[in-house]
Amino acid sequence: MGSLRTFLACFVTAFFLSSAGTAAAYHTRFVADNCNYAAPTPTPYITRDGSATVALRARYEGYQWAGGCWNDNNVDDSPGDTTENPNTGGEGGDCSGFTFKVWRESETESNAGFYQWGMLRHIHGPYVAAEFKSGDGAPNITYAKSALIKMDALASQNHIGMIYAKNADGTDQIIEAKGEAYGTNIWTRTYRGDSSYGGVRRTGWSG
Amino acid sequence: MDGRWNTFGRRLVATLGLLAGVLTGAAAFVAAGSAVATRGVDSASVFVDATHVPPLLTAEGERAELQYDAYCVDPEAEPADVSCDLTGSVFIRAGASGSFRELPLVTEGSANRLVARVPEAMASSREGFTYYAEIAATSGQASMSLPAGGASAPHQSLPLGPTIEIDLGRHAFGKTQRADERIAEVSWGEGLNDAGLEQGRNLTPIGASAFDVDPSGVVVLLDQAHRRMLRWRRGSSTPTRVPLEIAGMLADVSLATDGSLYVLESVSRREHTPVVRRFDSYGRGLASAVTAERTSSQIRQGPTGPVVLQQPSGQWMPIMSAGSPLTPDIQRRRGRSGRPVRGGGEIVVLRRDSEIRVAVVGHAGVRRSWQITSETALAEVQLAEPLGQRLVVVARVYTDDVDEFVALVLGAAGLISRISLDAADWAETAPLGRFRLAGGSLYQLGSTPAGAFVDRFGLEVR
Repeated sequence: MGSLRTFLACFVTAFFLSSAGTAAAYHTRFVADNCNYAAPTPTPYITRDGSATVALRARYEGYQWAGGCWNDNNVDDSPGDTTENPNTGGEGGDCSGFTFKVWRESETESNAGFYQWGMLRHIHGPYVAAEFKSGDGAPNITYAKSALIKMDALASQNHIGMIYAKNADGTDQIIEAKGEAYGTNIWTRTYRGDSSYGGVRRTGWSG
Repeated sequence: MDGRWNTFGRRLVATLGLLAGVLTGAAAFVAAGSAVATRGVDSASVFVDATHVPPLLTAEGERAELQYDAYCVDPEAEPADVSCDLTGSVFIRAGASGSFRELPLVTEGSANRLVARVPEAMASSREGFTYYAEIAATSGQASMSLPAGGASAPHQSLPLGPTIEIDLGRHAFGKTQRADERIAEVSWGEGLNDAGLEQGRNLTPIGASAFDVDPSGVVVLLDQAHRRMLRWRRGSSTPTRVPLEIAGMLADVSLATDGSLYVLESVSRREHTPVVRRFDSYGRGLASAVTAERTSSQIRQGPTGPVVLQQPSGQWMPIMSAGSPLTPDIQRRRGRSGRPVRGGGEIVVLRRDSEIRVAVVGHAGVRRSWQITSETALAEVQLAEPLGQRLVVVARVYTDDVDEFVALVLGAAGLISRISLDAADWAETAPLGRFRLAGGSLYQLGSTPAGAFVDRFGLEVR
């Protein structure tokens, strides 16, 4: 009887110690388990329709502050990560990482070429929202908000979203990585008229 | 010997126990990881999404062209920017009854831009025309109707008719009207009567996302970050706090005449469209309904219950009837291009570049319409509400550096009055949740880095 108690006590202790990381690890292993560091594929062009298609594939995926890696299963695989923590290793781009990838930009700010990054390539790119707003980097320019069209962007000091479509009431449908609780999706927004937002255009569209 | 054996035996049993525990625990870890991995490879399927701005109100002689931006997304496609091929047709008829005629959609400029030209006879019809589109992947794997109700709830395009033209000229920024009264005010924070910011101050400030006012002057403010509403009775400076079981993210609200509160959540997931929740005045959940479409931006009270503006259809759809949820299919089949209003008829709004067309529409067509132009760029139309025989319109004017709202009172002879309002939009709200009209006053939800407030502006025409 004493041996059984010893066995059970050791079993239970070892079980909990060895499995204790399971729940905690759930939110922190998406990047480690799924993402890669493959080189991007240079492409000779970028089109607005093609970029909209790329962005649509990220719809319903997660949001990760400072992140840039997602799959295409329409589920946030790391929900509930701590906000404002770039190291939680969860699924999704943040707003600027998402824009960087959809706009096929280079890691090098002086390079305006087009680089196709795989969805599972873990990269954020060199720009935060405020830098996009300022038109930083060779591919990016500030642009009159009233003249923005599909897949141009509206950026503030701490957020950026791309125009997916216009609505009849003057709002826009914006495709964006909005936040940890929101993930990546399309929402109706009024960023265009909001003076905290500026217009940004990626240069070099073929169509 | 026995003592040594006993010690050895106890150590052996303990070791075996530890070993079994470690192995079982590790197995549990792997199993949990596999579950995550299985979710990770749960594949998405081919889908079609399309957007379209309907020519809801047309001027005489205007060429009517129906343009759709359509995407067919195949999760297996490589590279990811390749869209699968699309085909489609528009089904159109003059007026709002009779059989539809099929017009094939043709590509123009790119494979994703589909266009149909409205036949002249229909475009110039005094009754306007109604239409819907069917767009599909040529592979047959996915399709969509736009609007979603198809033949049951087509888009309606109406001629403006004899319209009242209003030229706002160049907007003079910096000459905003002072509010007549501050009805409600809260600080940002975690105190008893504070309103919360969803993501804190270091990310986009989002808080106090919507409000409404009832005819007696009671104001409710949605403090979504704290999952509650704050309610001010007329003349009270301290709100009553009413907990609500909501998601805690951007949402619009609408008060019904029976005192119940409808909350339109904005978050959606795959196969989980935004939800509308109905609460009584004590915050008890009464009902909930899922919306028909992926994106919803406004909830308002119509003559028979709440209606929600849904995208991509761009239609107002009833969401509940007599307090009970309507199925997404019923919502789709009852979609309307105009917003039904309590006093009867519908309000139709179309902003085109720096022009706003707005009409009061009845069964026989447009009763009255206004065509508002501006030298300064116009953004969204925040509000278009009847005020007796007049119509109040609130729209945002903007440049790249500054923005304000203009509130216009429109009458049969033109512009009756006009005021400019500070944008006061430090915190993000529901996109069209900033203004309400009640009892001859215009109410504005505003915010600064210090907090949120509701101001009242009298619109009585002197």
